[in-house]
Amino acid sequence: MNKAVVLILLGFVIFSCSKESELFTNPDIEKTGVSFQNTLTATEDMNILDYLYFYNGGGLAIGDINNDGLPDIYFSGNQVKNQLYLNKGGLQFENITETAGVAGNSDWNTGAVMADINGDGLLDIYVCAVVGLNGLDGNNELFINNGDGTFTERAAEYGLDLDTFSSSAAFLDYDLDGDLDIYILNHAVHTQTSFGKADLRYKRNAQTGDRLMRNDGDHFTDVSEEAGIYGGMNSYGLGIAVSDFNLDGYPDIYIGNDFHEDDYYYINNGDGTFTEALKEHFGHTSRFSMGSDVADLNHDGWPDLISLDMLPQDEEVLKSSEGDDNIQTQRLRTNRYGYHYQFTRNMLFINREGGDYQETALLSGVAATDWSWSALFGDYNQDMEQDLFISNGIPKRPNDLDYIKFVSSDQIQSKINNTHFIDQKALDMMPSGATHNYVYEGSSNLIFKDQSGKWITNDTIVSGATAYADLDNDGDLDLLTNNINAAPTFYINQINQKANYLKLKLSSKSKNNFAIGAKVYTYTNGIKQFKELYPVRGFQASSEPLIHFGLGQEKIVDSIRIIWPDNTSQKLTNIKANQTLKVNQEGTQLFNYANLKPKKELLFTAVTDSLGLDFVHKEDAYSDFDREKLIPYQIGDRGPAVAQGDLDGDGKEDLFFGGSKYITSQVYLKKEATYQRVSYPAILNDSINEEVTALIADFNQDGKNDLMTGTAGGDFFNRAKPLVDGLYLNKTEGFEKSTMPELFDNTSVLATYDYDNDGDLDVFAGTQTITGSFGKTPVSYLLENNKGSFRVAQEFKDLGMVTAAVWDDFNGDGVKDLIVVGEWMAPTFLKNKNGRLTKIDVGTEELNGLWQSIIPFDIDGDGDTDYIVGNWGENSKFKASEDAPMLMYYNDFDKNGQTETIVTTAKDGKYYPLMGLDALASQVVSLKKKYHSYKDFAGQTIEQILTEKQVKTSKKLEVNTLETGYLRNENGRFTFIPLGYDFQVAPVLSFCKFDFDNDGKDEILAAGNYFGVQPFHGRLDSFGGVLIKNADTFIPGDQIGLDFTQKSIRHLNILSLKGQKYLLATPNNAAIQLYKLKN
Amino acid sequence: MFKKLSFLFIIALVFTSCTKEETPLTVSPDDYNNAVDKVTEVIIHDIFSPPVASRIYSYSNIAAYEILAQNNPDYVTLAGQLTDLKEAPKPDAGAAVNYNVAALIAQMEIAKSLIFSEDRITEMRDSLYMKWEELNPTELAASKDYGLKVADHIKSWMDGDMYKQTRTMPKFSVNPDNPSRWQPTPPAYMDGIEPHWMKIRTFVIDSASQFKPIPPPEFSMEEGSEFYKQLMEVYDVRNEMTEEGDTSEKMGIAKFWDCNPYVSTHKGHLMFATKKITPGGHWIGIVKIVTKKANADLMETVYAYTKTSIALFDGFISCWDEKYRSNLIRPETLINQYIDDGWAPVLQTPPFPEYSSGHSVVSGAAAEVLTEIYGDNFQFDDDTETDYGLPVRSFDSFRKASEEAALSRLYGGIHYRAAIDEGLKQGRQLGQFVVQNLKMKTNTAQASN
Repeated sequence: MNKAVVLILLGFVIFSCSKESELFTNPDIEKTGVSFQNTLTATEDMNILDYLYFYNGGGLAIGDINNDGLPDIYFSGNQVKNQLYLNKGGLQFENITETAGVAGNSDWNTGAVMADINGDGLLDIYVCAVVGLNGLDGNNELFINNGDGTFTERAAEYGLDLDTFSSSAAFLDYDLDGDLDIYILNHAVHTQTSFGKADLRYKRNAQTGDRLMRNDGDHFTDVSEEAGIYGGMNSYGLGIAVSDFNLDGYPDIYIGNDFHEDDYYYINNGDGTFTEALKEHFGHTSRFSMGSDVADLNHDGWPDLISLDMLPQDEEVLKSSEGDDNIQTQRLRTNRYGYHYQFTRNMLFINREGGDYQETALLSGVAATDWSWSALFGDYNQDMEQDLFISNGIPKRPNDLDYIKFVSSDQIQSKINNTHFIDQKALDMMPSGATHNYVYEGSSNLIFKDQSGKWITNDTIVSGATAYADLDNDGDLDLLTNNINAAPTFYINQINQKANYLKLKLSSKSKNNFAIGAKVYTYTNGIKQFKELYPVRGFQASSEPLIHFGLGQEKIVDSIRIIWPDNTSQKLTNIKANQTLKVNQEGTQLFNYANLKPKKELLFTAVTDSLGLDFVHKEDAYSDFDREKLIPYQIGDRGPAVAQGDLDGDGKEDLFFGGSKYITSQVYLKKEATYQRVSYPAILNDSINEEVTALIADFNQDGKNDLMTGTAGGDFFNRAKPLVDGLYLNKTEGFEKSTMPELFDNTSVLATYDYDNDGDLDVFAGTQTITGSFGKTPVSYLLENNKGSFRVAQEFKDLGMVTAAVWDDFNGDGVKDLIVVGEWMAPTFLKNKNGRLTKIDVGTEELNGLWQSIIPFDIDGDGDTDYIVGNWGENSKFKASEDAPMLMYYNDFDKNGQTETIVTTAKDGKYYPLMGLDALASQVVSLKKKYHSYKDFAGQTIEQILTEKQVKTSKKLEVNTLETGYLRNENGRFTFIPLGYDFQVAPVLSFCKFDFDNDGKDEILAAGNYFGVQPFHGRLDSFGGVLIKNADTFIPGDQIGLDFTQKSIRHLNILSLKGQKYLLATPNNAAIQLYKLKN
Repeated sequence: MFKKLSFLFIIALVFTSCTKEETPLTVSPDDYNNAVDKVTEVIIHDIFSPPVASRIYSYSNIAAYEILAQNNPDYVTLAGQLTDLKEAPKPDAGAAVNYNVAALIAQMEIAKSLIFSEDRITEMRDSLYMKWEELNPTELAASKDYGLKVADHIKSWMDGDMYKQTRTMPKFSVNPDNPSRWQPTPPAYMDGIEPHWMKIRTFVIDSASQFKPIPPPEFSMEEGSEFYKQLMEVYDVRNEMTEEGDTSEKMGIAKFWDCNPYVSTHKGHLMFATKKITPGGHWIGIVKIVTKKANADLMETVYAYTKTSIALFDGFISCWDEKYRSNLIRPETLINQYIDDGWAPVLQTPPFPEYSSGHSVVSGAAAEVLTEIYGDNFQFDDDTETDYGLPVRSFDSFRKASEEAALSRLYGGIHYRAAIDEGLKQGRQLGQFVVQNLKMKTNTAQASN
């Protein structure tokens, strides 16, 4: 009896808890009075085959049209009439479409937005339409608010009656003349027969090109051409975000384009023109760009950006959907056709104070939300951090692989040939893409937590245009989605009094009454929040024109800085929480934007004069993915080598740069004030070699420095001579090639030390891979020097895939020991005892990573040596943790004498290969026999895909951390301490120790980025470098003058010319960078 | 206990004696045609490329032929004639083998092992088994046993042809810097297919390069150069055809011989494929038409299939050898780049280098073999493409058909003139070589033909 009661009570507790955690509730639509539904009916003339955006859905605008303090709702429909609902309070809405006269006359409506266009203080409605396609009639319509509950359609009068393929429109005062201009987003319908060159965008197309319309009082003038707005047949415009991205007082524009067309990043020049600068500021973008949104996520006062795409999270959908390009198509598109790097996933761009964006969607956890339309940032739980809502779904998945390859051919073919219409039967064979919406809880460290199913109920409704508003006037942000073939969904926020808020409604002095473009900074107990008022956000929608801040448990906002659209500013102090603050523009003081930009101490100044160092590294065209199709990343692009040392005996340190295959390495001799390139025939003769590491030292003890090169390149195999490392002895008559032990492998590191204390320099030669056998543990060597001739003194057969090594006396016995790091292995400590290296256990054994670099540094200042270790980072599709390590299966799966590797990662405890069926079957052909459809394959774990025997006989390599961090020395034992978010955005490949800030203490500068990955990872290009001062102080490179993003920096060296110190940064496949040091 | 057993014994006896008399099994030419049609159907479904399709046809036909030829004094085994092929095992002495049944079983077994969607073949096979089991289980058992034995023999020979190894050889690396080199083509921009097909063991020809054609005209975008002229011919023909309209003879020819196994169509995010037979599949279809017209018996039918598919197989190797040697860029790429960025060919450009034309080579080779079998003026009505909504076309001879097939590539906008002329030449020489060197009929049989 008692037991039962307890159980019941327990049940009750659990029940009420789960109830409580639901942030949004969905009121019964019938009780709200809203009867709008965007019902889509495919017809012979209008279906997914005739119109590629058949499923993009209608629009949605929320705003208070009768100034009664309650936000009203306008829905636009594709084939159904538009509807306007008056908010009666208490979540009751009244359909006033008929009396208001806003049903619209166009055949196919898309985006709907509200703004006060004529400056009379009343919100007007602008509705976009697709016109001219397959007989669709109508035009974009402008419903001017008469202030009495009625509207008059006056688009033609205003010059806004476009009859184009419009998706949406956004209002902005781009010329700061006090009235609202409009950017009309049009979309192309050009079928995907071929990419066409990127410069198609310069040729204006009347129907598909975007338009910038300047407000000239009572008429709008098309200024697209003179303003520098592209208008090509390729601009598949679906996303628009307006923000003053570079904080110069002028609104800028980000346009998301679907398909292969690049997104556009229009920087407002302030003179009525824009400069499109995507490639300069973004390393890569989403590919099938859809909706977007802007908000300051990390409290630095700069607007950050998300651009949506359609990557599924669910394994079954993921593996049966068309994925990213293969690497060859990517190259073709970027190199030959001139497009930028684009990848199929959401992209989260962190604004680095107007410089390059740092893209972190994978690291932040928001990369895959399936077929996504609208993104809306908002502090939904009012904890002072921006959360994220993403609407989602498509009635039919047209990119289903079985449909593309098998189903379609049987069903569609004759239909298309004969009637040019897919019938319902053929459509039914496409799987549904109705996926739940996503909601993420944000945090200041840019990690988002998926709260779908907790904050919202997961449904299977197809939702598109989304807007936020405080519909019930209780202070928090509610959401509303316009759905396809279903009633709209209300998401009513239940945070209510559990956390505090502040709402601002702004009123400017100009005709731009609602102060569109205003910026608001709040400072609450040391926390800065920043918002801009641009109601058009997300996708085909405008939200209530208000500024909303969550305040957590704070009751007072210390100060508020408002910057009005005309850039005058005013400050409010001591504002109480939980109110809707109406602010009228006052004051005429112009805001000085320079105040927002912290005065940075530039430790590095880019040098324009090359100092004679004109080295440009060019990687050869070899692609490991062509030969070892399942290799997880390239091995053939690890160069160039850089070595510094005196080669000509003048006491000055010269420079050696390695070349890739068939490209000669280069030697630059240091002169008084510059460097001078010289040619040494013995070194030139080996131009076939790909040198990835090199040493300059006196190996034969004749008083002159020699050169040793470690060669790799990935494409030489078996006993190919270029795989043997090179030794060039410095003789009076020049360099002479000497011999090295015949070790045919891809060397990664040469590290020199007189380990046997016999007076000459010996060498540790680390091996990364054996060509053609990725996954097999290669042998690394200790080479003993005998008068300039080397022999193998010790073989290391089980070290792993070595990438870097350092000699350092970690046990304090006076002789240097060796520490080795590498991929699919743990940092390994080898004790040097009487000239014999022995692996010892120091607590790092379980730390398998994809380690790339190591440097000794007393980071915590406790007097002993710690080691900073560069890893792969967490911003790729690779995922690894102690509980769920990444596993790589290594085996000759198809028994053809060639081994393969299959990388798998865990999702909910199950292991799935990263690659899809086609990629796997290109190497393991038997899988095509096993799986006759993608559906059969999708959702299969690696244990199901392989045979039991294959699983059992495979060697499994493991990675359990991808984080860059440091090994903290605790009396000779080492504990791994991961470094912060900044270090995890890309692989960290190189370090340099120097007193950069002249404080008498050395710092470590870290650099990296890596591009040798399959397109499904994206491009690991967002690491701008970090200066590590100590365990608590890290300064991002872009704040101290470095420009490392979008470059893969392999080496950092300090040069000194005429007393001036320089930093030399050597990237792969690009020109070197030189910076003058402050020190 | 004993009682029970004896009871069972009696029942068994009764059953045995009840069995009706076994009728000898028959296999008609149409049964074989159906089996080949099934192979074609699965090749289309599984999307095999033209060279790989030719391999499926040839090995499955050879398996059947090697069984039938043993039982027919007019025909000679291919053992010792095709590279590395050894004599097939003999049936067990006294086994009630029906050679025709065994041949069909072997054909199905080899085809099944070479395609992906096995169930599509086993379904047909099992319904045949069920029928045969009903009629004559003894003969079926013996024939099945023997058919599979020969299939094993063919499989172990087949396994040595480098196919397996070429599956995991490197992908074709596109050379982005040389303007004359092949580039992936719209809309799917697929990788170059089968870049290692020249490494496949040939049947009759000595090596992949035995019929190496003269090199294509030297790449040049200079007006007046031979290459440029040929490029402009492709461009001009397309424009002429646009003017003449969709019903023009040229358009009819281009579409009739398209034979592209996988044409991908993109409509925004919607993609789908239209799938068709391969060039080899088209000629296999012609074999069916003409053997039927000639009232060929099973032996002759299998003979015609086998010899034609052997010529097709070696033809693809010879052609692919040249394709990845000359590695020539397709007209579509150049026209888009230099002349008209909106230009698209009538047919979708298939994903491999241009020179020489695959359809020209294999049509040339197949026509020579069929001409040897049925003579130079064998008229036929080609209805192979009716399943794909295309009309019947009539030809006065195999060679005329092959000439039209070759020319269709120019009209289709996917080949220059040289690839067609030299490709046809290459195919004919190869076909003649097969005719001269492959002795499949005994002298007496040859004479009586």
